[in-house]
Amino acid sequence: MICTGCGCLCDDLDLTVAEGQLLEVANVCLWGLSRFFPCKRSHPRKERRRILKPLARLNGRPREVSYETALEQAAEILGAARRPLLYGLTNTGSRAQEAALHLARKLRARLEPADLAFTAPYYHSLRKHGLYWAPLEVIRDEADTVLFWGANPLHSCPRHPVRYSVFARGRFTERGVEDRRVAAVDLYRTEVAKFCHLFVQVEPGRELQLLSGIREHLEGAPGPGPAVKGTRKLAGFLSQGDFGVIFFGRGATYNQGFALLDELAGLAARLGEERPFVLFPLSADFNAAGLYQLLFNELGSPEAPDFGHESGLLTTYATADWGEFDAVLVVGADPWWFLPEEQALALQARRVPVVSLSPYANRTTASARVVFPTALAGLEAAEVAYRMDGLPVVLKQVLPAAWPTDREILLDLAKAI
Amino acid sequence: MATPDELLEFLPGSDCGQCGLTCAEFAAALSRGDLAPEDCPVLHEPDFAGFIDALHELLGPPAAPAPAMHLDPDRCNGCGICVAMCEYHLGNCDEARLGRGPRPADRVVFKVVNGAVVVLRQDLCTRLIQAAEKCNKCADHCPTGAITLT
Ligand code: SF4
Ligand code: SF4
Ligand code: SF4
Ligand code: SF4
Repeated sequence: MICTGCGCLCDDLDLTVAEGQLLEVANVCLWGLSRFFPCKRSHPRKERRRILKPLARLNGRPREVSYETALEQAAEILGAARRPLLYGLTNTGSRAQEAALHLARKLRARLEPADLAFTAPYYHSLRKHGLYWAPLEVIRDEADTVLFWGANPLHSCPRHPVRYSVFARGRFTERGVEDRRVAAVDLYRTEVAKFCHLFVQVEPGRELQLLSGIREHLEGAPGPGPAVKGTRKLAGFLSQGDFGVIFFGRGATYNQGFALLDELAGLAARLGEERPFVLFPLSADFNAAGLYQLLFNELGSPEAPDFGHESGLLTTYATADWGEFDAVLVVGADPWWFLPEEQALALQARRVPVVSLSPYANRTTASARVVFPTALAGLEAAEVAYRMDGLPVVLKQVLPAAWPTDREILLDLAKAI
Repeated sequence: MATPDELLEFLPGSDCGQCGLTCAEFAAALSRGDLAPEDCPVLHEPDFAGFIDALHELLGPPAAPAPAMHLDPDRCNGCGICVAMCEYHLGNCDEARLGRGPRPADRVVFKVVNGAVVVLRQDLCTRLIQAAEKCNKCADHCPTGAITLT
């Protein structure tokens, strides 16, 4: 059984089901547990409320309505919008993503992956520097030099260290952690330090300086003036080994994302001249890789498409300004959770209608005009997903579902508009 | 505790093979604690009345209570590092050794269930068997400090 908790898509879970009820899941980490039971991520005792019926607002209050009524209202909202946004999709199965792309085309909408700010700088720099790529199994078997940059795998992908990157015992890494050297760079000291041979805590805003310092060291020409603490050690660390990998996390793209990723990719490319060296995003969303793959296959670019542009289609790496839009369709995401308050208030003041597809109640569904409850992909609905390294994985349905799938709703919406 | 030879004195000695072993092998299994006197069907025959009790006496009280392993479920995030690093699993559970989750039938000290580690067979922990060198691997490698061994 496969876990849709993060981009690792762990395939070794054992489910105990009795009379259509899920009783126990073995081998799932705490982060993934929330994909199986109605609890918050990493907070098993904090319950999340499942949405049972479609909701639509009447005189400002959400009311339970029939699926058909919800569909009608949502179609009206999206059909009438001049500038709609379709947002989310990185925690959604590939078949639903296809349906979403179809709908975005039909609506002449902007489609924005929920993790664009995190992933776009990566794809951007990948194109520029042309880097090595390797599946996670090869990394497990061969990588002897592992660097986490702004990434805490224990939070975003808790089993990643044990299955692939640190403790896993592979073909040429038979002794697991003893056959690898592991380092991390982060703004704060995290639990990762426990298994790192080298942990560099860097002051906010000095990451670029640290990276250029490493490059200078590798070229044998350290610049004058004091370097960021840890520069020399990291350069020494990276210049050894036969196969290296840098996993970066959200910490790396928090600010200066494009510049930092450009430097990181440049560094990986430079190191790759002498040995395989891979740069990899640690994706906490289970099917981000699937979405970018789809965009690449269909539109020739992993950038976010805008079908509403006067040229017919514009694709960009830049995240959009929510102030532009007059209707929003959210699939499998909770943007109201992190949207700056002014922006959320501005949307509210402009009375921008929101349609949300979600299995659980969240901040976005709370402010949405129409809400569709959905079946959970990989548990109540069969789907396809792509692991963080691009490996396609078939997700099976194991429990009966009382709700339609994301794909069904998106296709029905496209038909109704 | 009695040696296998002393235990052998109280076995039928017929090497009938009903237990899948010879009597001497059965005695060795008894001393390791892998089998119990009741596992020899022949000993249940009237001719051997009292032998089972005598063997129990020789074996002494059941294995000393396993070393206390305390798991703090509030700290554990289910990363499974302890499961992969466990000294017992290293030699006895291929899945765990390779970093994957143990299969349901695998004999393991502990595994992750519903997002946190639960102890299944504390008696398999090598801290109990090899008194000489105390293994600490699970606690040493746990990144969240969820395991305390005493
Ligand atoms: S690491 Fe990710 S895929 Fe694996 S069990 Fe945890 S949440 Fe699920
Ligand atoms: S069943 Fe009993 S008598 Fe037969 S071989 Fe085993 S120990 Fe010996
Ligand atoms: S290593 Fe620690 S945090 Fe990870 S599963 Fe084991 S007890 Fe839990
Ligand atoms: S002390 Fe050693 S053998 Fe016992 S559970 Fe921990 S790692 Fe395994």
